[in-house]
Amino acid sequence: MSDPLLSVRDLKVSFPSEAGRVDAVRGVSFDLHPGKTLGIVGESGSGKSVTSLAVMGLLSESARVEGSVRLGGRELLGLSDKDMSGIRGKDVAMVFQDPLSSLTPVFPIGRQIVEAIRIHQDVSPKAAADRAIDLLRLVGIPRPETRLKAFPHEFSGGMRQRVMIAMAMANDPKLIIADEPTTALDVTIQAQILEVLKTAQAETGAAVIMITHDLGVVAGSADDVLVMYAGRAVETAPVNEAFYAPRMPYTIGLLEAIPRVDTPRGRPLVPIAGNPPLLIDLPPGCPYVARCPIAIDACREKEPDLLPVASDLGARVVAEVGEVPGQDSDLDHRAACIRAHEIADRRIGGQPVYPVPEVPENRLAAVPREERPTVLEARNLRKEFPLVRGAVLKRKVGTVHAVDGVSFDIRQGETLAIVGESGSGKTTTLLEIMNLSAPEGGDLIVGGVSTASLSKAREQRALRRDLQMVFQDPASAIDPRLTVFDIIAEPMQAIGTPKDEVDARVSELMELVGLDPAQIDRFPAAFSGGQRQRIGIARALSTNPKVVVLDEPVSALDVSIQAGVINLLDELKAKLGLSYLFVAHDLSVVRHLADRVAVMYLGAFVEHGDVDTVFDDPRHPYTQALISAIPLPDPIKERTRERVVLRGDLPSPTDQATGCRFVSRCPLHLTLDSSQQQKCREVVPELTRGSDQADHLHACHFR
Amino acid sequence: MVRYLGRRLVGWLVMIFVATNLTYFLASFYLDPRSNYAGRRPPVPEETINATLSAANINDQDPILSRWWHWLEGVVAHWNWGTSPIGDSVNGQIGFRIWVSAELVLGATILVTLLGVALGVYTAARQYSAADRVAQGSSIITLNIPVVVAALVVVILAIKVNQATGSTIFYVVGSQSLDVHGFLPVLLDRLQHLILPTIVLVLTGYASVHFLQRTLLLDSLGTDYVRTARAKGLTRQQAIRRHALRTSLIPTATNVAFSIPALFTGAVLTESIFGWQGMGQYFATTLRTNDINGVVAVAAFGAAMTAIGAMLADIAVVVLDPRVRLG
Repeated sequence: MSDPLLSVRDLKVSFPSEAGRVDAVRGVSFDLHPGKTLGIVGESGSGKSVTSLAVMGLLSESARVEGSVRLGGRELLGLSDKDMSGIRGKDVAMVFQDPLSSLTPVFPIGRQIVEAIRIHQDVSPKAAADRAIDLLRLVGIPRPETRLKAFPHEFSGGMRQRVMIAMAMANDPKLIIADEPTTALDVTIQAQILEVLKTAQAETGAAVIMITHDLGVVAGSADDVLVMYAGRAVETAPVNEAFYAPRMPYTIGLLEAIPRVDTPRGRPLVPIAGNPPLLIDLPPGCPYVARCPIAIDACREKEPDLLPVASDLGARVVAEVGEVPGQDSDLDHRAACIRAHEIADRRIGGQPVYPVPEVPENRLAAVPREERPTVLEARNLRKEFPLVRGAVLKRKVGTVHAVDGVSFDIRQGETLAIVGESGSGKTTTLLEIMNLSAPEGGDLIVGGVSTASLSKAREQRALRRDLQMVFQDPASAIDPRLTVFDIIAEPMQAIGTPKDEVDARVSELMELVGLDPAQIDRFPAAFSGGQRQRIGIARALSTNPKVVVLDEPVSALDVSIQAGVINLLDELKAKLGLSYLFVAHDLSVVRHLADRVAVMYLGAFVEHGDVDTVFDDPRHPYTQALISAIPLPDPIKERTRERVVLRGDLPSPTDQATGCRFVSRCPLHLTLDSSQQQKCREVVPELTRGSDQADHLHACHFR
Repeated sequence: MVRYLGRRLVGWLVMIFVATNLTYFLASFYLDPRSNYAGRRPPVPEETINATLSAANINDQDPILSRWWHWLEGVVAHWNWGTSPIGDSVNGQIGFRIWVSAELVLGATILVTLLGVALGVYTAARQYSAADRVAQGSSIITLNIPVVVAALVVVILAIKVNQATGSTIFYVVGSQSLDVHGFLPVLLDRLQHLILPTIVLVLTGYASVHFLQRTLLLDSLGTDYVRTARAKGLTRQQAIRRHALRTSLIPTATNVAFSIPALFTGAVLTESIFGWQGMGQYFATTLRTNDINGVVAVAAFGAAMTAIGAMLADIAVVVLDPRVRLG
């Protein structure tokens, strides 16, 4: 094989900190050949971003970097900032995670792209501007000539990420490093950006390092996979082997912990116990030992080396996915586990590496839905925001229809999930419900009581007992200056529970959500993200609610932690007969957790029904696009399935549409004849029952 | 932009009017020009005092509203800001003092800003280096030197230089010499007078701009877009100058613009020490001599300066930050 483009050997990065030296990267080696894509996977703090910044020479000056990074044979470590600046942007380009903050806000994007070109190429400003226009067109920005003068704040997040990619392509780099390029974006936009990155790679012939925590993204784009844990590569493999025949327990754990959008919920997810270790003064032995279900005494003695393992997919995998085409690969299959040779097909000695946890049977599941009481019902719910202009005298210039006639009911022991892109009105719907006042339009019925009939604050408080909420970001939703006891006890104190009852209940709740009641006096800072979310759940459960409203409860958590929280929610539902109203943008989580799902677009439901029916047979083009945009953690399925990629962004909800809201982005609309298209534009489609299924509504004229 | 500034200007004019009139009433209640004549030997007769005070329209025995109306009429109709208790025209005093102060304050402001921003940028880009620590240390020291001490040191050093060279390079007193003619000689003479008080103002004033700019720039150094700029192939220093500096200048510009009014009336000590007949010194004098009309005029001037500072800040922000939408 030819010489590698990038060759990293024994890369070590450490930072000084108050607590001691942090060894963020502890010996990473890999090769990357031209045109290939390497996926680096790991949870936050695993050292994947630090590795990429070390290659770019963009680490802070306090960082100590050792080892070797050779690009086309040239050693990059130890080069001065000036020498590195000749390489950055020209030979190696980078796309960062957060497109909202990655562009200089005070300069037009054209100027920023032109700058990137003219740093490395001696061309006239005019020629550079022409090239910038070509680049913008290539990454799919409409009307690039006029958009050149626009400022970053005039673009949406997805569009800004396109600009970033255009900038990265500007000098035909040999290597593009993409650090979580789609994490901050909606799934539909993520699919667009991944396509654009592929275009960029095809156009420039560059090698790509794709850094992500999303195994689905890796499955779809990488040739090789490098799994990082605690600053080390713990498994490297060609992509198919990494997914179908992982040998390191951590990789297996990651794969088992993610819910999948393409399979109905069969068994509970497998969470990985505990948290990643702090990278200060690591004890000897395997850093994963505390979380590993198959750890033996020898694991604690010496950190295992990353050693080659047999590259064998195993008979069962071959039978299931067929013969995997041979790959010409940069990385041979290696794993850092002394028991790797015992592991095959995610099993060790015939037993699964990760025992599947027990989740109690939901006794309500046996009762047909129609016979269970309705705990929460919304009828034609509406919420509008006036759009005002003027400094002193505000005048109304328009209306934002945030929630525009939403109806649903939730039965006891049932989970309804509302999904949609950001800006679709999901969270506003939740907040309208939590408000417990008479809605602007429609009716809201909690446990048989209409909120419009509540006249006194006391009645409202009584109702609040039945309806509690868990928030998205546990770090900011919990007061850092209250102890766990105060946090959990607060809702009970608010409704006037006697003091000794509160004391007993707090300990009980902590046990229920899997926290140690001995830690009752600690502050939130002493807990990890997953544990804080458990505190949030305990707080919501303290009043014995009938319905718990969950606003993206796991989106801020790492994959391995997320699985534990999802399982907990499942378990609580079965134990306590709870109902959940659940908002999420991650459809895999929805598929795993929900019984029913409603797809929201611009303030209204476009599809609504039983979760398996909707996911297996989506009718509305928007639902189809959403589901097909979710990357699957399965390389062969992910690369062979048909994908519906939506054009453009979510339109503004200010204009009351005369026809279907989705018409501007609808792939189906384009295939219709002109009279049908006219119907789409002029007649609002009602949410109607499909011909066959009873429990499946969708709002499309032609499905 | 023009319409926006026009609207702001109208707002500020209303502000100046209200502030000035409120000051008129406050000054009339608290300042007592009659006390200027107390304890005179021989005693000044009551009628003479009344006549003098009434002539200046500051007699506390006349009804306040009629005094105010008379004053307001004078200002609005004739741009006549009244007289001091002994009959000096306020217009005459302020007319030349504004230019004296402007000469001193504007030059010093420009130098303070340039020096402060330059030091802030230099030290922020080299945080915790020896140069940063030295600059921080010296700025802390100069920030804490009282103006009087700084002025004395500067004066003594200047006199030493004059003696050593045997000629008058630096003038220690006054804003200009009387017997100089011709454009270039006048310019040189003015500069010779200007240099010492300007040094004092800059020395005692630059540190706050330095610290502000350093902090702001450090904030924007850590931003993602500076990292993007370096990833494009700019060196760290280039990225700082081209991408981090502009956003961090916005608050500094606002800060400097709003410090202008304070500088005009706040240079009291510098003006007194160097014998400059400026606004600061006039402010102190009018207060001491119970000169109601003079005090009110100074207040009006301060309000006008604040308005100009605020408008300058607005313009600076609009120019520096395209995200700011007018209207």
